[in-house]
Amino acid sequence: MDVEEVKERAGPREFSPADDMPEEYRKAATRMIQFHANSEIMGAYLERPFVRQSPSLERKLAFSAKVQDEIGHGQLLYRAAESLGVKTRDEMLEELANGEGKFLNCFHYPMDSWHETPMIAFFVDGAAMRRQATLKKTSWEPYAHAMDKVCFEEGFHVKHGEHILAELAQGSKKDQEKLQEAFDEWWPRILQFFGPTDDKSTHHDFAADVGLKQMSNDELRNAFLNAYVPKARKYGLEIPEYPRIEENDDGTWKVREDDLDWDEFFTVAKNDYEGSHEQIGKRHDTQEAVEWVRDVLDDHEQRPMGGAGPAAAD
Amino acid sequence: MIWEVFRQENAGEYHTHCGNVHAPDAEMAKLFAQIQHGRRKPTHSLWVVPQPEVHEVDDEDTAFGGTTDKSYRWAVTYDVDASFAQEVADSEREQEEAARSRGDD
Amino acid sequence: MAAEGLAGPADLGDDEQEAVELLLHRLADDEFVLAERYTEWQVRSPTLESDLAVANVAQDELGHARLWFDLLEDFGYEEQDLIWERPPEQWRHSTLAELPWPDGGWADAVVRGYLYDVAEDLRLGALEDSSYGRIRDRVGKVQGEEDYHLEHAQNWLERLTEDEDGRGCVQDAVDRQFAHALTLFEPGDPDLEERIDDLGLRTTPLSEMGEEWLRRVVPFFESLDVDTPMSGREDVTADQLPAVVGRDGDHTDDWFDLYEEFTHTYDQVDVGDPVRIMEDPDDE
Repeated sequence: MDVEEVKERAGPREFSPADDMPEEYRKAATRMIQFHANSEIMGAYLERPFVRQSPSLERKLAFSAKVQDEIGHGQLLYRAAESLGVKTRDEMLEELANGEGKFLNCFHYPMDSWHETPMIAFFVDGAAMRRQATLKKTSWEPYAHAMDKVCFEEGFHVKHGEHILAELAQGSKKDQEKLQEAFDEWWPRILQFFGPTDDKSTHHDFAADVGLKQMSNDELRNAFLNAYVPKARKYGLEIPEYPRIEENDDGTWKVREDDLDWDEFFTVAKNDYEGSHEQIGKRHDTQEAVEWVRDVLDDHEQRPMGGAGPAAAD
Repeated sequence: MIWEVFRQENAGEYHTHCGNVHAPDAEMAKLFAQIQHGRRKPTHSLWVVPQPEVHEVDDEDTAFGGTTDKSYRWAVTYDVDASFAQEVADSEREQEEAARSRGDD
Repeated sequence: MAAEGLAGPADLGDDEQEAVELLLHRLADDEFVLAERYTEWQVRSPTLESDLAVANVAQDELGHARLWFDLLEDFGYEEQDLIWERPPEQWRHSTLAELPWPDGGWADAVVRGYLYDVAEDLRLGALEDSSYGRIRDRVGKVQGEEDYHLEHAQNWLERLTEDEDGRGCVQDAVDRQFAHALTLFEPGDPDLEERIDDLGLRTTPLSEMGEEWLRRVVPFFESLDVDTPMSGREDVTADQLPAVVGRDGDHTDDWFDLYEEFTHTYDQVDVGDPVRIMEDPDDE
């Protein structure tokens, strides 16, 4: 299939591994899905310490389940990416550990206190879910299938995030202040989650033309703001004055792009931010530490009885 | 040799198990499967898988989803509103359906 | 068989309640602390699939702790008394549960899982006919999740020991942990433990459970070509135990660090009682 035919046929779940896809499509889809998969893993990295720090037994259970789900989403997504035949999962995980793999801007920043957890668990997850819901209609069938399961699970994450937000918002004055501080710090990053406005985005056109991507950055950001700004206000959070955002009469939003730090955004995008080094470094070290186990599994798989394992004798 | 057959009705849908065929190898299994399982039901694609390669774990072997309360994994457990975002409400509805078919309710 | 009189908290005299409390703390504290350690592996284990599995084991153990802590609430304690504000030196878990992992110590994780899960199997078996109805009623649910844990640990051990280096890592883990595993069967308070047995709260005494555990664990490791300190010996002597045994409230320094970490947020936030999300276990 050539690119022109791909563009012509492009529609929801249109292409599968049985189709002979052009390299340009396979590479674009791999880049997009690998980024998505990497983000799940790095999000889980950021949140894992808060399983330990959860201040109630049931909250701890929920936090562990949430981090578990994110890893599960990574597993689904790497498979969907792998099915394009460009890179194996091992290669993609290796790229993530050595700093070549790219992932969402928000997961490059350290998260130090419990009061910050709803920024990821509610706002960032909410933004991600909004985007993911549109990807159920992506043209790469294995990606859409992964989105079916991800979206099925993700409702728990967003509600769990809001539950923490609600609890802190009803806490002491000090808790409310810390929550507002966290919001002030994270809000610009959350606005940048969707990337630069459409005319500055580099990969959008092709991904949209071949049906990989269903909505533009601006459309997604509008949809997010419509749902989540009222939520922030409901919990007594003040939307910071800068970056300036204004609601238009037609339900869309104008975000003053110049109020956002795009130098920082693009430094983050290149994995060159201070936090990037820290997060990637941690991933690298912990992955390297258990390399020996993966080697043992690989050898086991190579043995005559290996892959089938003792269970095959059943 | 027996081959398990999975049929996908339309592009983008899931392959689901629909039966099996006897065949000496994968090529012959594909030839037989398209007649036996694809000649009448709408079919976009078939997979054939050697039966000895299919390993099973069933609910007699294990308790899928556990035996203690895991309701913290479900959106409906959290008493905050889901209706503010379509995708959150959809997810909650799908989870409620799954819980019903698991027999949790 | 179960004595009729001990259905619930109202049937217990002070002495009996004291014994039930120790028994429940042995169960709940072990599960809670071990789960705390398991969660460290989430997103840091060898593969994505093993991340998911170990997270599940952690949640299972935490869920079991929840059921046992809930029975302690029958006596008027609240979650903060039982977990968040209970001084660390009052925790009764085995030191096996609290040990940190060395870097890359996946062998330690599966060895610990195995050592613990065999003990858990025996201990739950000894509670099936407990004279205390509230415990007896919950054993089945917990057992329903333990089979997977044991199978998980054994399968990993079999595969890791196929490889010479892997077997070396397993051996090191056994050497590090075995003494601590013996504390699983140590008494918290000898008189109280005797009372637990006399009241039929537990139908097998700790010493017998410990012997049965050795009869299962030692040959299994030998079959994998891994030595244990008990290979060729029959009795556990005091010199085989670690300096602190946990059960009596004495713990390693690592426990106090862990305690600091998991109570950090609780000490920092001021939002009232620890939040409940799920239904009460009695209403499920």
